[in-house]
Order: sequence, then structure tokens, then C-alpha cells
Amino acid sequence: MSKKSCLILIAALAASPASAHVTLETKQAAVGSYYKAVFAVPHGCAGSPTVKIRVQIPEGVIAVKPMPKAGWSVDVVEGKYANEYDYHGNKLSSGVKEVAWSGGKLPDHNYDEFVISSFLTDSLKPNTTLYFPVVQECETGVSRWIEIPAEGAGHSHEGKSPAPGLKLLPKP
Amino acid sequence: MRLLAALATLLLVVGFATGAFAHAALVAVEPASGSMLASAPKAVELRFNEAVTPGAILLIDGAGRARDDARVSASGETISVALPADLPQGTAVVSYRVISQDGHPVAGSVIFSIGMPTGTQPPATTDGGLNALIWLVRVGLYIGLFVGVGGVFFARWIAWSMTGTAVARVALVVGLPSAVVALGVLGLDLLGLPPAALATVTPWKVASATSAGPAVLIAVTAMLVAMLALRGAWYARALAAIAFVGVGLSLAMTGHAATAPPEMVTRPAIFLHGLGVAFWIGALAPLAALVSKPAAALPVVYRFSRIAVPVVAMLALTGLALAVVQLEKPTALVETRYGLILSIKLALVAALLALAALNRVRLTPALARDEAVAPALKRSILLECLIGLAILAVVAGWRFTPPPRTIVPETPLAIHIHTDKAMFQVLVSPGKAGVDDFVLQLMTGEATPLAAKEVTLTLSLPERGIEPMERDASRGPDGYWHVRKVELPFAGRWHVRIDALVTDFEKITLEDELEVMP
Repeated sequence: MSKKSCLILIAALAASPASAHVTLETKQAAVGSYYKAVFAVPHGCAGSPTVKIRVQIPEGVIAVKPMPKAGWSVDVVEGKYANEYDYHGNKLSSGVKEVAWSGGKLPDHNYDEFVISSFLTDSLKPNTTLYFPVVQECETGVSRWIEIPAEGAGHSHEGKSPAPGLKLLPKP
Repeated sequence: MRLLAALATLLLVVGFATGAFAHAALVAVEPASGSMLASAPKAVELRFNEAVTPGAILLIDGAGRARDDARVSASGETISVALPADLPQGTAVVSYRVISQDGHPVAGSVIFSIGMPTGTQPPATTDGGLNALIWLVRVGLYIGLFVGVGGVFFARWIAWSMTGTAVARVALVVGLPSAVVALGVLGLDLLGLPPAALATVTPWKVASATSAGPAVLIAVTAMLVAMLALRGAWYARALAAIAFVGVGLSLAMTGHAATAPPEMVTRPAIFLHGLGVAFWIGALAPLAALVSKPAAALPVVYRFSRIAVPVVAMLALTGLALAVVQLEKPTALVETRYGLILSIKLALVAALLALAALNRVRLTPALARDEAVAPALKRSILLECLIGLAILAVVAGWRFTPPPRTIVPETPLAIHIHTDKAMFQVLVSPGKAGVDDFVLQLMTGEATPLAAKEVTLTLSLPERGIEPMERDASRGPDGYWHVRKVELPFAGRWHVRIDALVTDFEKITLEDELEVMP
């Protein structure tokens, strides 16, 4: 095997989702662009089926539109942003802060995806990681994918229920 | 018989006169030692297991200054220290020294932080020089009572001769000033004063007001009466008997053991134990002098031996009863300093008994047949004298060790974890390997209480391969989060992680190391 293909393999392995966590399918995106956030839910809470998924929208992410899902009802919680954002000539100071799918039932042995369309504003800092904390509620128990590593803590210090992260790239 | 009845009545009076429960121990403090407070408390309340008298109470504020504007008030078992209103931020220390019913000082510190912790340290409470003096005069007092008064009693009642009473006379001369100084240094110890303060009235007054006051008074009287009994008057035997009883009474008045519940048992036990010791130890020096003249010595030795056997049995019985009360469990013999002193004493007593048995079974009968044995018997008795002195020196050390029955869990182990977001105070009691209770006090970075929805405590000990164990904390009525009965199987540097769920999506996680003692 050539050195190059070996590196590609390692990169591919490193990029593959940590199997047991709720993660984002697309792990990097440029600021100032649309982003389709696909949350992969690989299992329930310690064997119990998932009945609700709540996603917190981080500051700087606007124009949030959840994709409806058969068998689930989708709700959004709106609120004020910390800053004002320019979106196609409009000043936006409030919008969706939280998206929740509920009413469905995703058994532990099944896999599903929950999708949000959004816009990553210029105010987000490239070359940082943006986190979308997720609370997974099940028939019994709750899993909170909300751990955000302290700045500079590095990858070695990953918690046991990390929030799904998105690597921000500079504006193309 | 009438004398016995009078004695019993006297003992009952002594037993009932003080409704005390002996060596005091701190049972509760508000605010808890080691706590983090958002604002200064109005007062610090110390609650003990028995009524106490405040000795010296000292407040050091967060800026490290000793304050003299804290007002101390006592009612029964509670001592309240009203704090000044202008207490600065930082770690404050209230060090206390109170007098418990057994006449001993009980000292300690309460440490709490207002807003943020600073490095304020409690003042050093032990003064080695003073403790050495306390020990020395106590040994002197014991010598006066046991060797002195006991010796005079032996001469008047067993030997019917004044041979060997020179030692008793010296012992009394040592014992009298020791008793007086013992009272003075107790006062110094109670108030935390320097030796120069002996020239003032205060330490004497404070010490006299404790149970040690009457005890010293009786001891001094007993020794003076014994001195009178050394003179050959017709009433000398009566005086010797009165002095002898005084030894037991003095010991039964004060100290850890005499004031231990149930006093109906412990006070008479101490009384009898004291009489037994005085009888035995007091006899040794005159006996050693007597055996040089075997013809005169033999009847005395026989008389002494006949009484000595039941006396030793009584010593063992009363000693056992007191040990059971004080130690509560046999493991305390090796696990506590009090128990260690008792262990050493028992070893010495065993040696003493072995020598006594040798004297009685081998040397005394041999002396009856052959006077040449006299030097051997004398050497053996002198060795007994030395061991007796060693026992007195060892038991004087009990003054510095609280009996295991009074030992209460120490101030909990505390760690403080501080980041920009939050500061957590973690109290672990008892802070040792075994089963511990955790109290988590959560505050924001600005020292305001942090409202959390859920709190979990995660502990691991990587060096021993103990993987993280997670426990949910429950919110107590005090507003703090509690995790009770956490198994910490090993001592070592435990890794502590606290997750506080602030909102559904936000969790504050702080981590630190916790040094757990064995």
C-alpha cells in the first residue's frame, strides 16, 4: 500500500463518526454559507427508544428551517439573538433558538436522521468548532449530548457525551 | 463499717453533684467548617455534646488580621460568636478553646470563606513547652499522691515502722508544688495564655472554677495530712488513712475517666483504682528499704502480700471497666493515641505483675530460708519501683489524648474548584478511605448561588485502576447538593469531576484532584 493511500485510510477512519454519539453528518462548512445540518441518532438511551430530539441553535446560525419528518411533529422555539444579523438585506435580531421533534418513536435498534437547513453567518469565527447541543429524550432516561470541550483542551479530552460539532472553514 | 458507709455516701455526692458528660466534643457548626459563603454570616454557632465554658475564642478575618470585635456568648452547650459586620472577603478562621466538664480544654478551628478563599491559616494551637510542663507537674502530682501518700499509708498501716519513709517524704515535697503548678498551667492552657500570665489572677481563677479546682484542693490536703502523719503522734494512723482516701477522692473529681458516663460506675471505679495504685506503688519504696533487714521484713512482706492479691484483682477489674467505657471497641487500643497509651501501660503493668509474682512465689519464700536472697529481692523491688514510675509517666500522657468515646469525625476534607464560570466547594467527610459523604456547594464565578437542575459526582482513581464511578447528587434542604455513602476503597489522589446541569443544554463541568487519607 502506498504511503498516500495509507494516509487517506487513516484520515477516513479518523473522520468516521464516533459510532455511539449523536453527530452531524457533514462535519465542516464555510461561514457565510447555507448549511444542511443532519443529526444522526444511532441509538436510544441505554436501550430505551427515543421519543424526542431537541437541538439548541448556537448564536450566529440563522434562517433555521427544520425538515418535517413522517411520524414526528416538529416545533421551534424562537427568541432574541444576542446580535443583529444581515440576511439578504434584512436585519434579523430574533429567530429560531431551538428545534424539537417529538411524538415519534425511534427504537434503539434503528437509526434515523433529523435535518435542519440553516445559514452560517459571517460573524462566526473560521477555524473554530461550532457546537449544536442535543438533548435526546427517551421513554426512560435522557441523554444529553451537550458537552463542549474547554478552549484549548484538545481532542484527547473528549467527554463521554460530546455535543455534535461543526468545523467552520473560512469564507471561500 | 461506718467508715465504708460514709465513704459510699461521699462518693454518691461526688457522682451526683456534677451532671456532667465529660470530655466535650464539637458536634455541629453553623456555618460548616470549610464552607463557601456568598456573604458574611452574622454569627458562628458551635454546638458541643455537653455544656462548655468558653476559654479563648479568636477570630482571624479574610485579610489575615486577628479581630477583637467578635462577641462571644454561651448558653449551655452552644457558643455563639457574633461576627463584626465589616468582615472582608476571604477565608476567615474562628479558633476556639473551651473548657469541658472534665476540666480539660477542647480546642479547634472553624474555617469558612466569604466570596473567595484566601490562605488564612488557623493559629497553631499547641504549645510544646506548656504541654511538657503540664505533663511534668502531672507526673510530680502522681508521685506525691501514690509514692508519697501511699508510702505513708504503708508505713502506718502495713509496716508499722517508719523504715523507708524518707522516699515518701521526698515524694510529698515534689507532689505539693506540682499540684499547685498543675492548677496554674491548666489555667494557662484553658485560656491559651503565655507562662508569664501565671503571675496574674485570671488563669488560677479559671482553673479553680473547673472540676480540677476541688481535685487539686483535695490532693494538696491529702499530701499535707500525709506529712502530718509522718510525725509520730497517736493519731498518725488516722491521718494516714484520711490522706489515703483523699488520693482516691482527688482522682475521682476530675479527668476523662471520672467524668465518663455512667458516672455512677466510673467515679467509684476511679476512686478504687486510685486507692489500689496508691497501696501498691506506695509500698514499693518502703519494702525495698525493709528487705535489707530480713528478720523485720518478713512479717511485713507477708502482710503486704496477703492484701496485695485482692488489691491487684480490684485494680484489674476497675481498670477493665474504665477501659471498656473509654475505648468502646477493642481496636481503639491500637488505632487511637489514647488506646496506645493504655496498651503501653498494660505492657508495663504486665511486667510489674510478673516481678510481683516472682517476688511472692520465689523470692519471699527463699528469703524465709536464706537471708542471702535479700539483695535479689531488693533489686527486684527496685525494678518494680522503676516500672511504677514509668507507668505514672505514661498515664500522665492521657491528659493530651481524648478518649476514643469522645472522638467525633474531624473537620471534613475540603477542596475548592474555581473557574471563570463557576466555583464549587467540595466537602468530604470524614475524608478518609472507606465510606464518605460529599457535600457540593455550587456558586457562579461571581459567588452567587448557582441554580442547577441536576448534579453528578464522578470519582476515579487511575493509579489504582478505578474507573470513573458516577453518582447523582440530591439537593438537600440546606440548598447544597449531597452524595451520601460513597465508597472510596483506597487512599490516594482521586480525580473528582462535578457536572452541574444549568439548563437543558448547558452543563458546567469542573474537575480537580482530591487527596484521600488512609
